[in-house]
Amino acid sequence: MDKISQWMDGELSGHETQNQITRVKQDAELHRSWGLFHLIGDVMRGERALSQDFEQRVAVRLAREPAVLAPRHRVASRFTTYALSAAASLSAVALVGWLAFFNNPLVPQPGIAQAPATPPPAAVPSEQLASVPSDGKMNEYLIAHQEFSPSTEIQGLAPYIRGVSSSRQVEGR
Amino acid sequence: MKTTWPIILLGLVAPALAAEDAGRQDGLAWLTKMANASRRLNYSGTFVYQHADRIETSRIAHFVNPAGGEFEKLETLDGPAREVIRTNDQVTCYLPDTKTVIIEKRSARRFPVLLPEQLSGVADNYVVSVTGMDRVAGYDCQVVVLEPKDKLRYGHQFCAETGSALPLRARTLSEKNQLLESFAFTELKIGGSFNRDQDKSRYAAKSRNWKVDHSALVLSDVPTDTGWTLTSQPAGFRKLTELKRSIAGRTVMVSHIVYSDGLAAVSVFIEPLPKTRPAQQSLSHQGAVTIYVRPVADHMVTVLGETPAATVMQIANSLEFRGGRGK
Repeated sequence: MDKISQWMDGELSGHETQNQITRVKQDAELHRSWGLFHLIGDVMRGERALSQDFEQRVAVRLAREPAVLAPRHRVASRFTTYALSAAASLSAVALVGWLAFFNNPLVPQPGIAQAPATPPPAAVPSEQLASVPSDGKMNEYLIAHQEFSPSTEIQGLAPYIRGVSSSRQVEGR
Repeated sequence: MKTTWPIILLGLVAPALAAEDAGRQDGLAWLTKMANASRRLNYSGTFVYQHADRIETSRIAHFVNPAGGEFEKLETLDGPAREVIRTNDQVTCYLPDTKTVIIEKRSARRFPVLLPEQLSGVADNYVVSVTGMDRVAGYDCQVVVLEPKDKLRYGHQFCAETGSALPLRARTLSEKNQLLESFAFTELKIGGSFNRDQDKSRYAAKSRNWKVDHSALVLSDVPTDTGWTLTSQPAGFRKLTELKRSIAGRTVMVSHIVYSDGLAAVSVFIEPLPKTRPAQQSLSHQGAVTIYVRPVADHMVTVLGETPAATVMQIANSLEFRGGRGK
C-alpha cells in the first residue's frame, strides 16, 4: 500500500513503477481505492462539483457513524496512507484538513461578495510615501503570499521567481 | 473531463453573467483552461521575467507522473544560481552561494484553482475580453485581457497557447497602462514524458552539508480566527483565508490573512513588534507586488499584494485588533 504513496510522490524507479501499474491493474480493490483517492484529490482541488448538501451529509454520516474516523484498522490505515500521499493533500491531518476545507471562509457566505456598506475612504495614499524597490527582506512573505494568490495559480511556479529575483538583488549588493 | 469542466463552471456562474456578453464568458473559460493547463501539462522551457528595468532568464520544467504527482523545477540562468524544486506540496529552494537549502510546505492545493465564486469575482471586478491572436516562443496564442473596473487593481493580459491553453505570457499593467512586470516563454516544449531525474536538483549530492532551513515546513494551516479585522475592506475584495503560520527565518507564529478579488490577492502578515527594529512605516514594490509595512499597536503589520499602493494601504490602515484568542 505504501508503495502506492511512494509512486504518487515520484519516489519509485521506473521498474518499481511498472510493478505498481501491474498491481493496480490486477487488484480490483486496489484499483478502486486508487480511484477513490484521486477523486478525493480532485474534490480538494475543486475540480469536481460536490452536491450542495455534501457537507451536511458528511456531518450527518459522521454523527451516525462515529467510527468513520477510526474504522476497522485495515481500512483506516489505507485511507490515511492515501490521504497523506495525495498530491492534493496538504498536511498530516488530511482528514481534518478536508473537513476544515468545507468550513473554510473560501466557501461563499451570504453577502460576502458585496461591497462594504460604508464607502471606502478615498483610494489615495494618505501619506506622502514614495514606493521604493524592495530590498528583498520581504522574500519569505512574498513566497508565503504567492501560494494563496489566484493569479499565481494561473502561472504555476513562475511567480516564485519574484522571491528568487529579489534575493538576487540583495546578494548582488 | 477536460473539455466539460469549463462548461460546468460557466454554468455555475451564468446568473452573474450578462447573456449578451459572450466575449466575457469566453475570456473566463480561457482563464480556467489556463489554470488547468499549467498544472496538468508536461512542459519545459526558458522564460524571461521582466520588471522595472531588469530582465532575468530562468528555466522551468513541469511534469505530472502517471500517478498524478506534480513536479516542478525552476532554475535561474543569470545572476546568482537559484534552484526551486516542487514535489507535490513540498518546495525546496537551493541557494548554492550561501550553501543553504530552504524547505517549505506549499499549502496552495487547498485552494482550488479558480472556483466559480472566484470567477464571478473576476467578472465583477474586471472587464474580461478575448482580443486576438499573438505569437510567443513560436506558438500561436490567444490574447485574454482583464481590464480593472476601478483603481484598486491592476490590468492583466495573458496569451494562452491555442491548442493546450498553456499560458505563454502574462503581463501586469499599471493604472497608466505601463508594464509593471511580465513573464514570457522564449523557448518551450509542450509534452514529453516524466523522467525521475527531472525533479532532482543538480545540488542534490553537494547540498548534504549545507545549512537546512526547515522553519517553514510545519504550517499550521487550519483556518484560525486571528482576532484581526478590517474596518474598511476595499471594494470587490473578500477574505480568502485567515491562519497562523510559521515563516522561514522567524521564530514566532505569524498571523496571515488573505483577501482576494478573484484574481489579485493581498496578504496581511502580523507579528509582534521586534524590539530591535525601529517601528517605521515603509512602502516598496517588487514587480507588480506592492509591500507596505506599518506598526499597529505593539505589532508589525506587513501588507503585500499584486495591487496598487492604494489597496494595500487601505487594508493596512483599517486593520484593527478585535480581541479573541488570536493574540
